[in-house]
Amino acid sequence: MGCSQEGEVEAKKEEKIKLGREKASIASYCAAAVSEEHDSLAPSFARVPLGMVFATQIRFWGSQAAPEQSTSDGLTVDGILASNWTILDENEGDWKSHATAVAQSIHLIKRRLQWRKLIVRLNMLSAELNKPDLWDDPVHAGKISREHGSLQGKMKEVNALEQELLEHIDMIKLAREENDEDLESESVKALLNMRRNSKEKELEALLAGEQDLYSCYIEVQAGAGGTESMDWAAMVMQMYKSWAQRRGYKVTVVEEMPGEIAGIKRATIKVDGDYAFGYAKAEVGVHRLVRISPFDSNKRRHTSFAAVAVTPILGDASAHVQINESDLRIERFRSGGPGGQHANTTESAVRIVHIPTGITATCQNERSQHQNKASAMAVLQSRLDQLEMARQAHLNAQHTQSLTDITWGSQIRSYVLHPYRMVKDLRTNYEVSDPDSVLEGDLDGFILSYLSACLDKDEDGA
Amino acid sequence: MKLSLGSLYRPSRFPLLLKSYPISRSRRSFCVSSLSSPETSLKPQIPLFLRPPIYSTTLSDLRKWHDWAESLASSVGSTFEKSDNGPDSSLLCRELKWLLEDAVEDHTLVSQMGVENDRRVRMRAHVDELYNLWKQRIQERRPFQYVVGCEHWRDLVLSVQEGVLIPRPETERIVDFVSDVVSKDQELKRGVWADLGTGSGALGIGISRILGSEGRVIATDLSRVAIAVASYNVHRYGLKDIIEIREGSWFEPLKGLEGKLAGLVSNPPYIPSKDISGLQAEVGRHEPRVALDGGVDGMDALLHLCDGAALMLKPGGFFAFETNGEQHCRALVDYMENNKSGSFCNFEIIPDFAGIERFVTGFHGKAI
Ligand SMILES: C[S@@+](CC[C@H](N)C(=O)[O-])C[C@H]1O[C@@H](n2cnc3c(N)ncnc32)[C@H](O)[C@@H]1O
Repeated sequence: MGCSQEGEVEAKKEEKIKLGREKASIASYCAAAVSEEHDSLAPSFARVPLGMVFATQIRFWGSQAAPEQSTSDGLTVDGILASNWTILDENEGDWKSHATAVAQSIHLIKRRLQWRKLIVRLNMLSAELNKPDLWDDPVHAGKISREHGSLQGKMKEVNALEQELLEHIDMIKLAREENDEDLESESVKALLNMRRNSKEKELEALLAGEQDLYSCYIEVQAGAGGTESMDWAAMVMQMYKSWAQRRGYKVTVVEEMPGEIAGIKRATIKVDGDYAFGYAKAEVGVHRLVRISPFDSNKRRHTSFAAVAVTPILGDASAHVQINESDLRIERFRSGGPGGQHANTTESAVRIVHIPTGITATCQNERSQHQNKASAMAVLQSRLDQLEMARQAHLNAQHTQSLTDITWGSQIRSYVLHPYRMVKDLRTNYEVSDPDSVLEGDLDGFILSYLSACLDKDEDGA
Repeated sequence: MKLSLGSLYRPSRFPLLLKSYPISRSRRSFCVSSLSSPETSLKPQIPLFLRPPIYSTTLSDLRKWHDWAESLASSVGSTFEKSDNGPDSSLLCRELKWLLEDAVEDHTLVSQMGVENDRRVRMRAHVDELYNLWKQRIQERRPFQYVVGCEHWRDLVLSVQEGVLIPRPETERIVDFVSDVVSKDQELKRGVWADLGTGSGALGIGISRILGSEGRVIATDLSRVAIAVASYNVHRYGLKDIIEIREGSWFEPLKGLEGKLAGLVSNPPYIPSKDISGLQAEVGRHEPRVALDGGVDGMDALLHLCDGAALMLKPGGFFAFETNGEQHCRALVDYMENNKSGSFCNFEIIPDFAGIERFVTGFHGKAI
C-alpha cells in the first residue's frame, strides 16, 4: 500500500517539476531567441535578402513582454503583494514573509527601472530594429541595438527573478502536501537566499543610468565669503575623498587651488571605480554650512556655501567629442621670468583652454609638465563630452550640471554645526544628527535616499 | 642576394659608432669605465626612489620629521620668490610630499602618520638623512631634483645628480616636434638622429621612444658626469640598442656621418655670460656652468650648431634648437637665412607654454 502511494507522490512531484521546467524553458526560449537574433542581426543582414529578414524579425521582435507568470495554483507576484502577508525577520524562516519581501523587491526594482516605460521603449526599439534600412546608418543602428540589448537584459533579469520566486513557492507547497521536509527546508532556504540578494538588486536598479557605471571627476568650488567658505570647500572635498576611499574607489587629486589663508578656492579629484558616477551624481549642487567660524575673532555665526559638480569619464572612446589641436591654447599655470635654463622649478602645471567653448582644464598634481598636460586633457575631454551630452539631451533629466551652470541658489543640503547639530538634505528631507560622521564620508544614506526618491517618486512607472 | 647585401651594409651603418662605443662592452656596470682610466671612472648615483628600503622608522618619528620639515618650508614664505624667483612655501610643501613619496616604501602608510603611531615603515633613506636632505634643500637651496636624484620629465623618470643639468619642462616640447615630423615622414623615422649636449639623456631618450626599434640616436656630451648619467638612464629604459652615448665636443663624435643625419636636436647652453651671476640660487649655485653659459650673447653654441647642421643633415633632415627667447630665435633664423642661404627651409619659431618664443625648427634644403 505504502508502495503505491509513494509511487503516486513521486509521479505527482515529477509532473510538477516537469511543469515548472516547461514553463521555465518556454520563457527562456523566447528570451534566447530574441537575444540571439539581436546579436546576429548586423552580420546576417548583409547576407539574407531583405524581405526574409523582415519577416523573421517581426516574428521575434513581436513578443516583448512575457505573459504574467504564476504558480501552478495561479498565484502571481502581484497576488503575493496583495495578500499583505506580514514580513517577519529573516531568521523566522517563514516562507510567506520571505516571498513577500522578494515580491516587494521585485516591485521596487520594476518601479526603479520604470517598467512600463521600459516596455514601451523596448517595443519602439524593436520596431526600429525591424526597419529594413536600419543598417544604412551603422552608427545609429549600433546605438539602437546596444540600447535594445541592454533593456532586454534588464527585462530578462526581472522576469527570471519572478519565475524563480514562483517556482520556489510551488516547491514549498508541493513539499507540504507531501510532507517532504527536506524539500521544504531546501526551498525555504533558497527563498531566503533570494531575499538577501534582492537588496543588492534593488540597489543596482538605482544605478541603471547610461553613465552610472563610469568613473568620474568631482569638483568643489568655494562660494563667496573668503577664508571661511574656502575652509568649507576644503571640508567638502575631504568628505568626498573619505567617502570614495571607504567605498574602495581610487582617488587622485587632479587640481587644487589653495586659499590664501586656509582651505581651497577650488579643487578637482578623480574617482576611479565602478558606479562612481552613479553615486556621486547625487551630490551635485550647493552645500551650505552654518557654524561659528574659527576665522572670526568675534566668534560670530557664519553661513558659507560650496558648489559641487560631477562629470562622468566616458569609457567608450567612440562617445568622445573630437578635439582639434588647433582649438587649444596651452598655458603654463604660474609663469614669469625668462624660464628655460634660467629657472629651476618643480611647478609644471598647465592650463588648457578650449577656445571655441571657453572651457578650461588645469592639472598641477603630476610631477612633469607632460603628465600634467595629459591629465588636463582628460579633464577637458570629459567636460566637453558632458557639454555635448547636455546639448543633445537637454530633455534627459539624467545629465548633471557643470560648475558654471550651478546657480548658488540650488542648495541641496545644509550642514548645521551651531546652534544645533544636523545635516539635512533639502531634496529628500533625509537627515542625520551627527555632522561629524557625514563630514568623515558617511554619505551613503544621503546618496541612496536621493537616488531612490528620484526614481521612486515616479509612481506610475511600474 | 638581397639578404647578403643587407648584412654587408649593416656593419658600415655606423662606421664611427663601432670604434668608440664603450657601453656595450661594459655590460655589468653602466658607468663608462672603458672611457676613462679606472681611478677617474664615474659611478652614477642611484635615485632615492630606486634605492633598496633597508631602513625603517616609526610612523610617529616620520611624522616628527615631516612636521619639522613643513615648518621649515613655511618659514620661507615668499622670500626666495622675491629675491630670485625661487620657490615659495607652497611649492616647497609639495616637494616635501614628493620627497616622502620617494623615501617611504609603502606610500599608503603616510596618511596614517599619526602622532602616537609606533607602526614601523620601511624607508629608502635613514630619517637622519632626511633631516640633512631637507636642510640642504632649504638652507643651501639645493635643487629638489638633486635631493631626490631624479626628475620627472615627460613620461620618464630620469636620474640626475650634481654635474648634470636638470632637464627643463620647456624642453619636453622638442620631443613633440620630432614626433610630429616623423609621423609625416617614415624615412626620417628610420634615419639616424643626434642629440648634442645630451646632459641626462632626456632628449635622446625621449626621441628614441618616438622612433621605436627602427630608429638610431647618437647622444653626445662633453661632460663626463653627463655621459655617466645619460648612459645610466639609457640602460634603465632598455634603449641600449637604439641610443649610443658618445663623449666629445658637439660634432666631433659624429665624424663620418656628414650629410647622413635624419635629424638633429639640441638644447645647448644659451645663457649670456653676464647673466650667470644673477641666476636663481638653485641654478647658479648648483647646476654646472658648462651646461648654462652660452658666451657673451649666449649664442656661441647655437651658431656652432647651425654651421654643423648644414654639414651633417641629409637633404630633408630636420633640426630643432632650444634658445634663450625671442631675440635668440630671431637672430638664429637671420643667421641661417643670410649666412647659410639655401641650405635650410621651412623655419618655424615656436613658443613654450609660458608664451616665450623658445624654439627654432626647420629642414635642410633638398639642394645643398
Ligand atoms: C643646457 S644643457 C642641456 C642638457 C640636456 N640636453 C637637457 O636638455 O636637459 C647643455 C649640455 O651641453 C653640454 N655641453 C656644453 N658644452 C659642450 C660641448 N662643447 N660639446 C658637447 N656638449 C657640451 C653640457 O655638458 C650640457 O649637458
